[in-house]
Amino acid sequence: MRLSELWRTTTFRLTLVYGLVFAVGVVALLGMVYLQSVVYLTRRVDGILYTEAAALAASPPAQLRDRIDTDLLLNGPNTNVFALFSANGGWIAGNLRNQPPGLAVDGKPIEIPPTATFPTHARLIARRLPSGEELVVGRDINQLREMRAIVANALVWSGVFILIAGLAIGTALSIGPIRRLRVLQATGRDIAAGNLTRRMPISQRNDELDLFAGTVNSMMSEIERLMAEVKGSTDTIAHDLRTPLTRARSQLHRLQQAEHPDRDEIARVTAEIDEVLERFRALMRISELEARGRHAGFAPTDVAQVLTQAVELYQPLAEDGSVTLALAADHSVVIDADAKLLFEAASNLIDNAIKFAGPGGVVQVRLEDDRGSPCIVVEDNGPGIPPEERVTVLQRFYRGERDRLTAGSGLGLTIVSAIVRLHSFTLTLSDADPGLRAVISCGP
Amino acid sequence: MARVLVIEDDVDTAAEIADCLTASGFEAEQCFDGEAGLQRASGEAFDAITLDRMLPGLDGLDLVRALREQGSEIPVLMVSALSDVDDRVTGLRAGGDDYLVKPFAPAELVARLEVLLRRRRTPAKPEFMLQVADLKLDLVTREAMREGRCIELLPMEFKLLEFMMRNAGQTLSRRMIFEQVWEYYFDPGTNLIDVHVGKLRRKIDFPGTRPLFRTERGVGYVLDAA
Repeated sequence: MRLSELWRTTTFRLTLVYGLVFAVGVVALLGMVYLQSVVYLTRRVDGILYTEAAALAASPPAQLRDRIDTDLLLNGPNTNVFALFSANGGWIAGNLRNQPPGLAVDGKPIEIPPTATFPTHARLIARRLPSGEELVVGRDINQLREMRAIVANALVWSGVFILIAGLAIGTALSIGPIRRLRVLQATGRDIAAGNLTRRMPISQRNDELDLFAGTVNSMMSEIERLMAEVKGSTDTIAHDLRTPLTRARSQLHRLQQAEHPDRDEIARVTAEIDEVLERFRALMRISELEARGRHAGFAPTDVAQVLTQAVELYQPLAEDGSVTLALAADHSVVIDADAKLLFEAASNLIDNAIKFAGPGGVVQVRLEDDRGSPCIVVEDNGPGIPPEERVTVLQRFYRGERDRLTAGSGLGLTIVSAIVRLHSFTLTLSDADPGLRAVISCGP
Repeated sequence: MARVLVIEDDVDTAAEIADCLTASGFEAEQCFDGEAGLQRASGEAFDAITLDRMLPGLDGLDLVRALREQGSEIPVLMVSALSDVDDRVTGLRAGGDDYLVKPFAPAELVARLEVLLRRRRTPAKPEFMLQVADLKLDLVTREAMREGRCIELLPMEFKLLEFMMRNAGQTLSRRMIFEQVWEYYFDPGTNLIDVHVGKLRRKIDFPGTRPLFRTERGVGYVLDAA
């Protein structure tokens, strides 16, 4: 695992940020403790120094030397500093031989390193006596210094520890997600390479990675389904177009060989190719319908009027084929729809029904009401569609056996299906016993 | 001889359209991109233009708009792979006179161009009566008359006959008829138009008359003028 990879993980960064914030908090806390305790101790030392200096200064000048000597004798020479210097700086008494540089008379306390006569660090103040002599009082501050060192050490080490622990925990926490990401990456690469059946692994944790993997998986299922559909449709198109084109080609070849080409033959080839073009046009129409934005040309539309016009358009065709075409739509029903598309759907259903009703057959077009939603019913008494084909017949590019026997693009029902989907209506095919009943339910 | 400018970026398609036009007695010139197309269309005298909708450089829609802005009234037949009603409406709104969807049969293209050229030759003026050979159509009473016989027509039959008589002598494809008479732009399926035309034909070409309707195989119908 590379460091840069680790650094990029959210877990690692978060752990690090938390660690830093925590470290800053701890340092601030310890800093406070340090300041409070050290300042307190220093003040106490200073307080004692001032008191001692005041007490010594208050004693009679003549006894001062003896008092210093006595105090040193009593306290030992290594705890306290007492010294008396003459007005010109000469040593008179005490355990400090020279006036330390920087020690201001009646000024602030200073700290000095160990000297020949006083073995530890000391804090000193100086006082000018009425006699002009200078009194220096001091105290061993090793304890204070040790205290400072301890707190400072604690500060540094706790900071270092928190940082190291933060890094370690961050790394440990990030390794899991990184491993899972690697697996997801590998799966993704595999899918990109064309293995569409692969799915992202999902743990039982239900965390954000799982949610993401789940989303990708459902997307993959949809893509797989679409790819299968595209493949199926390509095969169907290839098959559907190859047959008439092959036929046309051999006919053309025959015409080329013939000495006197037959005009009827040429017309037949032309018709054959026209059929291919027709199918292409229907395929394009379907993809247009599928790509079209919903509710583009929607307006209040009278379904009864649409059906009346469609039946009028197809009446001569029905008569020509000795089919009875009957309409039952006496009251107007207005719905929100694209009138031209609805007409196209109804026309396709009627055209289909007339084709399959056959001579002597009956086609009924009715506008019914199914619990408040208007239904367009087109019913014929032809051979119908076997139940197992009723679903597939609505799929894009599917051509049922019954379609292959007749002229036209054979995509009529698919176009109806696309129009119905565009409107969020439903199309159902059922058995009219005998024949096919197609129902467009214009309900929501 | 009518000169037609073919503006089409696909060289093969352009050549095919031009061949087909030449075979039908037009003089065809080809042009492969929008800018040059507009230049030629506005600079030279053409009788009609076939215009591909999607062109490199200047788009077909912009081209026809520019042409109309220049005041040109030349008939423009737009040819496009986009067949949705909305696309058709945009094409016609931009100034196209007719809209043909790819793929198309060459005969269809020729038929449509001829109708456009004819429409241009006969400027619209108020008419009360149409006449083709011995067939008369009264536009007010909506009745047809032939050999002294009065023929009653249903509303759609009247529209169909009017369309065919206004374009007498022209080959009219089934699709053109469906679009112009019924004003729908989808594939009406099987032989719907044949049946409608057949019904009208039986009424008009009744026994004893010289047949006016003629079937153009694989294309459509002609109402014979002569």
